[in-house]
Amino acid sequence: MLIFIGYPILETFRLAFTNPETGALGLYNFLTLAKEAYFWNALRYTFLLAGIIIPIQVTFALIVSLLLMSRFKGSGAVLYIFLIPLTISDVAAALIWYNMLTGSGYLNRVLLSLGLIQKPLHFFGYQYRNMELLAIVATEVWRATAIVFVIIFAGLQIIGRDYLEAAEVFGAGTWEKLRYIIIPMLKPSIQTALIIRTLFAMQVFAVVWILAGRDIPVLAGEAYYWQVELKNPNVAAAYSLIIAFVSLLLGAVYLKLFKPKYLEG
Amino acid sequence: MNLRGISKIIFIVAAIVILVVAVAAYFFLLKPPAPKEVIWVSTQLNPSAERAFVEGTLLPDFASEKGIKVQFVPISYADLASRLEAEMTAGKVTIGLIGELHGGLDMFASKGWLEDLDKFGALPGRTFPPVLEKYSRMHGIKAYIPWMTATYVFVVNKTAFDYLPPGLTEEDVKTGSSKWTYDALLAWAKDIAEKTVEKKLGFPVGPKGLWHRFLHGYLYPSFTGAQVKNFNSPDAVKMWEYLRELWQYVNPASTTWDAMAEPLLKEEVWLAWDHTARIKDAIVQKPEDFVVVPVPAGPKGRGFILVVAGLAIPKNSPASQEAWALIEYLTRPEVQVKVLENVGFFPSVNEAVGKIPSGPLKVMAQGVNAQVSADDALLAMIPSLGPKGGEFTGTYRKAFERIVLQGEDIETVINELGPQLLKLFEEVGAPLPPPDA
Repeated sequence: MLIFIGYPILETFRLAFTNPETGALGLYNFLTLAKEAYFWNALRYTFLLAGIIIPIQVTFALIVSLLLMSRFKGSGAVLYIFLIPLTISDVAAALIWYNMLTGSGYLNRVLLSLGLIQKPLHFFGYQYRNMELLAIVATEVWRATAIVFVIIFAGLQIIGRDYLEAAEVFGAGTWEKLRYIIIPMLKPSIQTALIIRTLFAMQVFAVVWILAGRDIPVLAGEAYYWQVELKNPNVAAAYSLIIAFVSLLLGAVYLKLFKPKYLEG
Repeated sequence: MNLRGISKIIFIVAAIVILVVAVAAYFFLLKPPAPKEVIWVSTQLNPSAERAFVEGTLLPDFASEKGIKVQFVPISYADLASRLEAEMTAGKVTIGLIGELHGGLDMFASKGWLEDLDKFGALPGRTFPPVLEKYSRMHGIKAYIPWMTATYVFVVNKTAFDYLPPGLTEEDVKTGSSKWTYDALLAWAKDIAEKTVEKKLGFPVGPKGLWHRFLHGYLYPSFTGAQVKNFNSPDAVKMWEYLRELWQYVNPASTTWDAMAEPLLKEEVWLAWDHTARIKDAIVQKPEDFVVVPVPAGPKGRGFILVVAGLAIPKNSPASQEAWALIEYLTRPEVQVKVLENVGFFPSVNEAVGKIPSGPLKVMAQGVNAQVSADDALLAMIPSLGPKGGEFTGTYRKAFERIVLQGEDIETVINELGPQLLKLFEEVGAPLPPPDA
């Protein structure tokens, strides 16, 4: 444990706080990265992506879970289909969406042949960053909603039928059941899903890198760029520490916000 | 202990002694005089697949023909430089042959570490292009024999020839005539964009793409005559104005492309510039669809980067005759073709081009050769800045992002970045690369 976890962490701290040229300890690497417009954009885009993607995923997962709870005909099949993206790696998912949306991709070909558009829609490129953002959101929602769904669906299963039946006896409708029983009892599951998704969102990399390169910089992408392209492990380590710090901070905020009230009684 | 026991022990001891003596004799008496050995230290062909080709195919053929054993040592430039320096100061040289890029060999020759190769005589049956001949002579000696080259070229999907602008012919483009200019490229891309409503010109501007090479080694020399020293000159302002105009007809997804083979194959683009290794897949898969052509010329010439790897023999090499035999072998046209086929580096001798079997590699080699042999060729070399190389290329990319993508004022940006660029060379103490110097 000490060797496999402790050593890399120590080494990251050492790298991040060491000036690669003079060997002096200090904030040199953090100042270097903060001077670049890329850092501030990366910070902004990482939060922006998390802020757009996570609410969509949670809402979507909640709706699908509730639908599946009603056990309509064929709900088993829907469940399995919904989970398929979970088995696909992020790189593969990004490539699938890239090929679908690219200038000569399926979407453009279908739209052109139907005569709905005169020239191909541009989803990629610096001039089309809003479209790139849209493509990233679509890919992430398609790919990672299933994780949120699994957690929420599992949480739904453990809500006792008797609570719902009791509510029905007192004349509660669907909305009341949702508002006063299901959502409050799902809170721990939603909290878990949010924390996991947010931590992943802070590390978002492959999908953004493949779809938008550095047009849309994100924190993990910048860490990679400094390490591999600029060959500066010190600044890369500084980026990793920033990602870790932001994740810890957000985790703490969630724990505070979601403290289940009914346990305090 | 009985007699049989003792004789058994004596037998075992005797057997061990004989074995030890035999092994020692093998190493001390038989080993040294046996094969002549050359230590070939190379910064090129280091990736494992390329190394396997050298050790598994190239060298065994050489060994069986000449009876000379070669030990191939892949090494980084930094390690090579410090090893060579140590051996030179200690006066005990073990390196027989060096394989390195032009920039590093320039450095070694300037320190007086390299042998003048003229003393070994000529290499019959092979001609080196004049530019290579010229650059391999430096610091008063023939410092190296050109070994392999790599460059960046334009690839044209043959469909694009249907949209040629008036005054430009297919032949002009293929041969790199004086009519194949950056203005002609602009007119061509514009024509295509207007007639097909698609932007069919593309560049690898993605984060791992080699776009910076196009800026410092192609546009800058072609428009300003130099890579670095005219960074913020009036000519440079004209160049950036040109690029802004051209960019309107460049496929915007270029900023997400790291290599052009895929976009070419998918027909996202019909005209693309990239490193030969990064367009190879497209040519190999559809050799009939594409031609490889020289880059366009600008007002100051046809600027392009040539990556040249050379073979050099250090002074006091322990096996200089054997090393020369290896140079003779590695520059044979048929061996050069084998290198092209296996690892994708282009030949340095003209005779090799004719020996490439027709197919994708021939398509590429013809384009590369047309570019090197163009009358207005303006050769640019990648500067040797070591760890500062990233900052050098980063400066050009930054200028592009600010001027073309973000629309900042040209003079403000280049006047701000120009001095930083020169400071890099001062810090490292490196000379400005050709054609500046």
